[in-house]
Amino acid sequence: MNEIGHPMLKYLKTEGPSGPRLPLILCPGCGAGQVLNYTLHAVDRLLAEDNLNKEDVVFISGVGCSSRLTSHYLQFDSGWTIHGRSLAIATGALLANPKLRIIVFTGDGDAAIGGNHFIHACRRNIDVTIICVNNGLYGMTGGQVAPTTDTGEKTATTPFGNVEDPFDLCKLAETAGAAYVARWSTAHPRQTVKTIIKGIRKKGTAFIEILSQCPVHKKTAPVEMFKALRRLTARVKEGAAVPDGRIAVGEFCNRDKPDWISRYQDIIDQENRHKDTECTGSI
Amino acid sequence: MHSETSQNLIAPGIHYLQGAEACAEGAMLAGCRVYAGYPITPATEIMEHFARRLPSMGGRTIQMEDEIASAGVLLGASWAGAKAMTATSSPGFSLMQEVISFGIMTETPMVVVDVQRPGPGQGYISTSQEDVMQARWGHHGEGAIIALSPASVQDMFAMTIRAFNLSERWRTPVLVMAEETVAHMRERLVIPDLDSIEIIDRKTPQDEGIAPQDYLPYGHGPVPPMAIWGQGYDVNHVSLVHHRDGRITGYNAETHFDNIDRIRRKIEDNVADISEVEARFMEDSRHFVICYGAVSRTAVEAVLEARQVHGIPVGYIRLKTLWPFPEARLRELVRDAEKIFVPEMNLGMMKHPITEALRDRCRMVAAVPSLGCLHTPEQILARIQEEAA
Repeated sequence: MNEIGHPMLKYLKTEGPSGPRLPLILCPGCGAGQVLNYTLHAVDRLLAEDNLNKEDVVFISGVGCSSRLTSHYLQFDSGWTIHGRSLAIATGALLANPKLRIIVFTGDGDAAIGGNHFIHACRRNIDVTIICVNNGLYGMTGGQVAPTTDTGEKTATTPFGNVEDPFDLCKLAETAGAAYVARWSTAHPRQTVKTIIKGIRKKGTAFIEILSQCPVHKKTAPVEMFKALRRLTARVKEGAAVPDGRIAVGEFCNRDKPDWISRYQDIIDQENRHKDTECTGSI
Repeated sequence: MHSETSQNLIAPGIHYLQGAEACAEGAMLAGCRVYAGYPITPATEIMEHFARRLPSMGGRTIQMEDEIASAGVLLGASWAGAKAMTATSSPGFSLMQEVISFGIMTETPMVVVDVQRPGPGQGYISTSQEDVMQARWGHHGEGAIIALSPASVQDMFAMTIRAFNLSERWRTPVLVMAEETVAHMRERLVIPDLDSIEIIDRKTPQDEGIAPQDYLPYGHGPVPPMAIWGQGYDVNHVSLVHHRDGRITGYNAETHFDNIDRIRRKIEDNVADISEVEARFMEDSRHFVICYGAVSRTAVEAVLEARQVHGIPVGYIRLKTLWPFPEARLRELVRDAEKIFVPEMNLGMMKHPITEALRDRCRMVAAVPSLGCLHTPEQILARIQEEAA
């Protein structure tokens, strides 16, 4: 199967002692599988071109369709964790071992239940790459309203239309302090792979939003949704706003700032210099 | 054993410390190098002590945005190879239950200290033992928990070390159910020779000679060796019901039972190793005071006075471990009794498992409640005299 299979299958466990690990549970036409493909392509490039060790790459996710990208079929260290809390868990992993290169898969639903963790992870500029699969709704539970659902849209829990305004997650990440912020869509494969590579290379929080399609709950053919993601987006150019009614895609922010671990390392170093010269042991 | 950082650990000898400080020093001696927390009275002193001390040992202290995130940090830190701890007080303990449940299912070594204050709601900021049932039953779902009950500054030190050892040995979250009383009191703390203190580290697949391709994340016995992130074992930590190899598809009732039953039994089948009970004045006793935590300090005074001044044959039993509940040990100790008194800083919580264990061994189990403050010995003595004189 591997010989004729997908080039990224080398990063997946297709079988285990108790039975098959594939296929993914995602619905036909879902964009999340594409996001996994783009991410593995990016990691593949970094393993080949950078001095990235495969053992140091860790995938962490919460709960929801996008979070199913971290699961028993990944041939990497990984944690499929708590809804909205994946960034807290990623923070803990870095505190224990700053060498780890952590990629967090998250969805727009995590921005609701984990909104607080999200803004504080960006504020601390923890060195993780957050890949947010935004399909504008809660897919896993059956198509309910999300914090990214458009105003007026009818969903399973807004049968008369959504009365709330959606979040712009990229603006939120940038304002909160993330070092790198970008948005693409599943219909921009090459750009997305390049952006994920930049994100993983970036020291500090990289937030990459990927607009994605949910053909099942939007009751629309995947190919139509895919075309719409091209039609409805426009690339940001410096000094120019995107045309009205279009969603901006591209890189919004790329800045150099110290991450949490680097700043704390200064304290560790300073404390240990003191200990060399002072009386130690008792408190 | 502690060669790398021993110069910065607490020195052997006699100290005069607060319970919160003793707890933090015990944790660091046990190998804790990641602390995450959120300030809350009366637990904050523990985090403040970690914040001052942990960098000198190469460890890291972080103040997170809430208690859920603080507990969440422990999962990631533990999977990445660190011993990690948080401390909170009762309202924060409620928030942490989601993560504790997740930690039980993913079999994650982690230590949570709950410096109990009264509830419900904000309750008050004084002392309490009102979370002892939440410790066992607060998390959603089946499983088991280990919960220790310190009664002194010395206990805050030694039981925190024991909490880490138990969590590493049994791959599970361990709770230290302290009270405001023991966290804030200052008293003598004796630190023995550091090499005499047992420190247990989790077993890894490397320790067991298991190669990555043969590794079953939830197999190889009742307590699976734990692969550490970054060491090439491609381990997926998962809290969905899973097969022993970590597979989550192919769900069936047998796999579900196998998964949860092992997690429960690795604790419940080893109560004799895990749960400690202290018993005094057992000879000829017809009545018993069964207590735990700070209350045992006043309870022992009441028992002594009842015996010595009033000639009432009362025995003293202290639960040093609340969960798993040491039912078999209690039944060994109490074979035939008249009355059992359970003083607690709640309206009668541990009284329930005590009654369940001993209902055929005594005529009555009486709660001796107190809310928000420690009993006086007189209060407990009065109840004993009323019922047993």
